[in-house]
Amino acid sequence: MATSSTMNRRSFLVSVASVGGGLALAIRAPRQIAAMPIRGTDAFPEDTANAATDLNAWINILPDDTVIVRSPMPEQGNGVMTQVGLTIAEELRCDLTKLNPEFASPTRDFLEDGVYTASGGMLAFFAGRSTAEARNAALLQAGASARERLKAAAAAEWNVPVTEIEAEDSVLTHTGSGKTLRYGEVAAKAATIELEVEPEPKPESEWTILGKTSHGKFQNPYVVQGQTIYGIDVIREKMLYAALAQSPVMGGRLVSYDFNAIKDMPGVHSVVVVDPDEVRPEAPVQAPFGQISPAQAGIAVIADHYWQARKALEALPVVWDPGDGAQWTDDAMMREATFAAFDDDDLTELVALGDISTLEDQPTVVTGDYWTPYTDNAPIEPLNGTALVTKDRVDVWHPTQQTQQAWAIAVEETGVAPENVFVHPTFIGGAFGRRVFGDDVRMVVAVAKKVPDVPVHVIWTREEMFRQGRYRPAVAARITAGLDADGMPVAIDAKAGGAGLYLAGFNDGPLATGVIPNARFQNKEMPFNLLSGPNRGPGYNSFAFIIETFVDEAAHAAGIDPLEYRLKLYENYRDPGWVKTLQVAAEKAGWGKTLPKGEGMGIAVSNWAMTADFFGTTVCDVAHVAVSQDGVLTIKQIDVAFDTGKIMNEDAVRAQYEGGTIWGLNLALNEELTVKDGAIVEGNFDQYPMLRMTDIPPINIHFDALTGADRFSEIGESSVGPVGPAVANAIFAATGKRIRSMPFRKEDLAWS
Amino acid sequence: MALTITINDEPREVDVDPSTPLLWVIRDYLGMTGTKYGCGIMQCGACTVHIDGVATRSCMYPVESVGDKKITTIEGLSPDGSHPLQQAWVENNVPQCGYCQAGMLMAASALLESNPTPSDEEIEEAVSNICRCGTYIRVKAAIKQVAAAGGE
Repeated sequence: MATSSTMNRRSFLVSVASVGGGLALAIRAPRQIAAMPIRGTDAFPEDTANAATDLNAWINILPDDTVIVRSPMPEQGNGVMTQVGLTIAEELRCDLTKLNPEFASPTRDFLEDGVYTASGGMLAFFAGRSTAEARNAALLQAGASARERLKAAAAAEWNVPVTEIEAEDSVLTHTGSGKTLRYGEVAAKAATIELEVEPEPKPESEWTILGKTSHGKFQNPYVVQGQTIYGIDVIREKMLYAALAQSPVMGGRLVSYDFNAIKDMPGVHSVVVVDPDEVRPEAPVQAPFGQISPAQAGIAVIADHYWQARKALEALPVVWDPGDGAQWTDDAMMREATFAAFDDDDLTELVALGDISTLEDQPTVVTGDYWTPYTDNAPIEPLNGTALVTKDRVDVWHPTQQTQQAWAIAVEETGVAPENVFVHPTFIGGAFGRRVFGDDVRMVVAVAKKVPDVPVHVIWTREEMFRQGRYRPAVAARITAGLDADGMPVAIDAKAGGAGLYLAGFNDGPLATGVIPNARFQNKEMPFNLLSGPNRGPGYNSFAFIIETFVDEAAHAAGIDPLEYRLKLYENYRDPGWVKTLQVAAEKAGWGKTLPKGEGMGIAVSNWAMTADFFGTTVCDVAHVAVSQDGVLTIKQIDVAFDTGKIMNEDAVRAQYEGGTIWGLNLALNEELTVKDGAIVEGNFDQYPMLRMTDIPPINIHFDALTGADRFSEIGESSVGPVGPAVANAIFAATGKRIRSMPFRKEDLAWS
Repeated sequence: MALTITINDEPREVDVDPSTPLLWVIRDYLGMTGTKYGCGIMQCGACTVHIDGVATRSCMYPVESVGDKKITTIEGLSPDGSHPLQQAWVENNVPQCGYCQAGMLMAASALLESNPTPSDEEIEEAVSNICRCGTYIRVKAAIKQVAAAGGE
């Protein structure tokens, strides 16, 4: 993460020079109109450079002053597309109302030698947040380089030195004469200009937009009219629909089906089989992030309309061979198997500090078993996508969270040359990690290639989506610590087990990296068949609960106030954000005030995305709860303090913390998938409850814990971690009942 | 079977199995995609439209039941995004991914039509849609803002 911005600038200049400098490119095509994916426009722009007017790969200014900015990162609700525009505008000095962000093309990136990805660092994939250092550097440089070309074009027009030109609000002004030109009037000429030296972006201290102003999302006016095009809204000429079923037990195989039973149903065209054992061409390209998701056994009914396809699929007799996955009778068995495996001698050692044998010598030993179940990301837009596969060209219209990987999968699944494979990103109706693996892209293309030359729109039912997730894996953990005479931990022994675990938040935090001198962290990989994936802080959302509940147990065992205990525990930790967020959240929440019987406050602090040389984002929550004597839980208030270092767009940050806190609350209180014979039981929101407006407590987001450290670290995931443990710790304070498993709704909280 | 339904004040003829849910007729036969599919079992509310002014989840509403009732979708809420709720939504930066927001707006607009000054409880009862991004705080704030302004 801590990449050098100078390096980034240099490598970026190569890209700028090859595009903005007017060198010949492999493919160029004219473009008529700028467009986000919005109904009634040319929603899906060309995937190639516009020779005439591209100022660089990121920016194209139209004669009417419209500023097209191209975002490689898809828009999933976090405001990436808007932030890309604002960051470019910081240097471009354009009228913000003229910004028109659209999605960059991975095909173009391939054709033009990594024009978006070559800038290094976190840029090297079409996914993720917009504020990573390498991305900021590239975007600011793109804006500055475009601005200087516009100024040079105006200077040439007036035959004056470029130093006498000012650029602001999409207007170029000659300071001497007061003459003006609009950006759109000189953009075409500017696109032909080669600069001797690319400009240095201004220092951060001179920013006027980033960190100084708040902006809503550019697409909002279209969203509220229902005009933005999500994946499910894609309509292409002559398009057919597909309803999809995959093996109910992951890893199973299709045995047989009877097309005759449905062939006369209205609108039905055919049945298509997706065979995971089919030999696929080796991908000539690899996406730089994540696995290339393999195909699952699947079957799809193709029909004129979606509802016809779906009714026919429901009527289609299908026999599956569940395969080995069926051995996992239920989730209770999986849970028991994981805890039992902690006694095996084949655990993987992740951390070994000091001497763990000192643990047993301590005056107090605290131990706890913790569990978080399988959960689904459950974005409200079901998985879906549209593909048109012909012999020599593939087009995919898809709500993908990882555009470049989607493209690589489409290349691999069809064997069509990469330069002839095009992914057209749509708006995404929520993703939260679910659309990052490309299993959805794989299935869409695998179905569509069997119906060549016709666009096919594949839509998962909600039930299919729940049962074919890439789940937050179930996590079992056993933690034991020895506390010294002062009650502080001097040795910790921590084990985590599950299938496809992400370990973020387990072996990277303070407890595993030196705050406790003697530490052993181990994990056990279980052979479960259910596939796992990221879920708004993969690993983190489970381990924040596990670790911070355990810390609370240690505090109580030591007889020390949980806030005071944490302040002492983390006082010498390398990242001062831990202490600062604790202090701010506690102060704002009124920590320590006397509460009526049956009420309590709980506190928890955690960090998302820290690495050996990056501090990530620390978040502290204080939850205030009331529990009635018969066990009804009311969340009265949640106070959130966080440290991302610095922020760029206050209201966007606030919105993400509000939403992420609600995500964390739902995860803690409600979410659980259960297993029967290797398959997921729950299929819809009637079995998988979601918080609604009436359930939302007052949530106060506090900006006072920002340390101002030199980073703009993650927002979306970080907010989730401390919510669950803060609530669980508050329940303990209110009732004396210690909660060690999610979801809390299954716990009996009655007290007397 | 050919049916005529009145949607956003326009009579539209569709040739469709009469048991088809209104949601899919609106989206797939009429090509109006602002109304969303989320769950198909009337849980999430992403498919909310007005039927004779009443907020209705269209995913389990057979098109044959429409008869001569008038349907309004998000596309018909205002011609240009000028409905006070649409404006308040933009002003409050309500949407995150935005997918559920058409349903939220249709639920909220039906509420304010029948009850221009709802209590918090009445808002929560009428707008029980699911938003996975967690925009509830802003949805409520935007509705209250419009209610306080008397629909202006």
